[in-house]
Amino acid sequence: MNWLRLISIASLLLLLVPVFVLLYYGLGPFRDAAGFSTQVFRSIELTLFSSALAVVADFILFTPLAYYLARGNDRITESLVDIPVSVPHPIIGVALLILDSPVTPTGQFLLSLHINFYNTILGLVTALVIMSAPIYVKSMQPYFESKDPSSEEFAMGMGASRLKTLYSIVLPNSYDGLSSASLIAMSRALSEFGSISIIAFYVLQFPFYGVSPASVTIYEFFSGNMSGGLNAAVSASAAMILVAIPITLAGHMIRKRNGR
Amino acid sequence: MIELNVRVEVGEFRLSAELQGNGTICLAGKNGTGKTTLLRAIAGLLPVAEGFVKVGGADVTDSSVEERDVVLVTPSTCFPRLSVDSHIMWGARLKGLRPEKEYLLKVKSELGIDYGGTVGSLSRGMRQRVALATALLSSPRAILVDEAFLGLNDREAFVSTYSKHAKEAGVDVVFSSQDEADGKLADYLFVLNNGLATARQRKTSS
Repeated sequence: MNWLRLISIASLLLLLVPVFVLLYYGLGPFRDAAGFSTQVFRSIELTLFSSALAVVADFILFTPLAYYLARGNDRITESLVDIPVSVPHPIIGVALLILDSPVTPTGQFLLSLHINFYNTILGLVTALVIMSAPIYVKSMQPYFESKDPSSEEFAMGMGASRLKTLYSIVLPNSYDGLSSASLIAMSRALSEFGSISIIAFYVLQFPFYGVSPASVTIYEFFSGNMSGGLNAAVSASAAMILVAIPITLAGHMIRKRNGR
Repeated sequence: MIELNVRVEVGEFRLSAELQGNGTICLAGKNGTGKTTLLRAIAGLLPVAEGFVKVGGADVTDSSVEERDVVLVTPSTCFPRLSVDSHIMWGARLKGLRPEKEYLLKVKSELGIDYGGTVGSLSRGMRQRVALATALLSSPRAILVDEAFLGLNDREAFVSTYSKHAKEAGVDVVFSSQDEADGKLADYLFVLNNGLATARQRKTSS
């Protein structure tokens, strides 16, 4: 008897109980048409769209940081990266609200540039970037660390800068790591609620005018602000889980396949 | 000309070395004697605790890796997704150099590089030839070869041809080997003894 395996599977099942409960009741006894309505699918669309944009931003803005942490020895920066996910997530929503408020100088400046976070796709994506980027960085950093640096050193010896080496040598050989980290970061963005419930409770922009992110829609069903109640909340949750699970599993399987 | 007098510290390991030579230099020593440590210090990949490193007459002790114009080639050095020709020209293009096509073909032919495709699909020995040719065509001040000559089937002929091309281009080559007898392939033999401190140097008969 492999007791370690048995205990591990038991603890994993404990973790997955909420997921199984929602899938069982959402697709079975509590199934409610409102949970699978056009409104819910539009909110899932918005969540997928904004999460995908957030991951593109993660890739562009935070890949150099992950590489810097992998090849440098900057412990302070490394620990600072974790801050956004280590504070209560609504705080990030409040911070974005203040940053973009017309009563603050930063808000006045941003608004003069027509940059508005409140109830916009930009605000939603910005919050998702802040919440998913630490996961992206912490996934890419060990990937870069696991790569033999000799070819990078070779390139630098010929005069290439670190940044040139990253874009010319490292990234073209990192598709697997980038795919895995992006999918894991995207699954984190899909699950976000705290920050976006403050900065983008719903979006007032084409093509998602009046649409809330999926997590907010589920909360709205649950709180009774939208008709359908608990049954609709459970059904919508099941629908969201069915969308999120393949993305999460794909990210982890790519990472596993590459031996990390 | 490579000239150095350094003390390098890596954890508990201490290495003191003095070296002066040009052309092709063989750095010989058994495992753990500090060959790689010394090469990495010359390349700027390890800090020098004390002393100086001069390459091509310039003091590069405090220069960054990308500024000192010294290329380190190891057995695993390569850009696997590039084609052979793109790989060989990579460093030269980066520096804005445009080697004559005849020269490129001559180097490829004499170094035994007669295949196309991507570098990642080649055998290890073939990749090493491509990496060494890449370093050569980028015309650095010096090329440091950390055991990258070892996997080649025609090693002696290859080193001789490589050294000839490097001399023509005014590039010094330092290669490491576990066998002191490889000194015959070089203009200078530099021996690291017993890991820690001493080194001796002599002009070889070649």
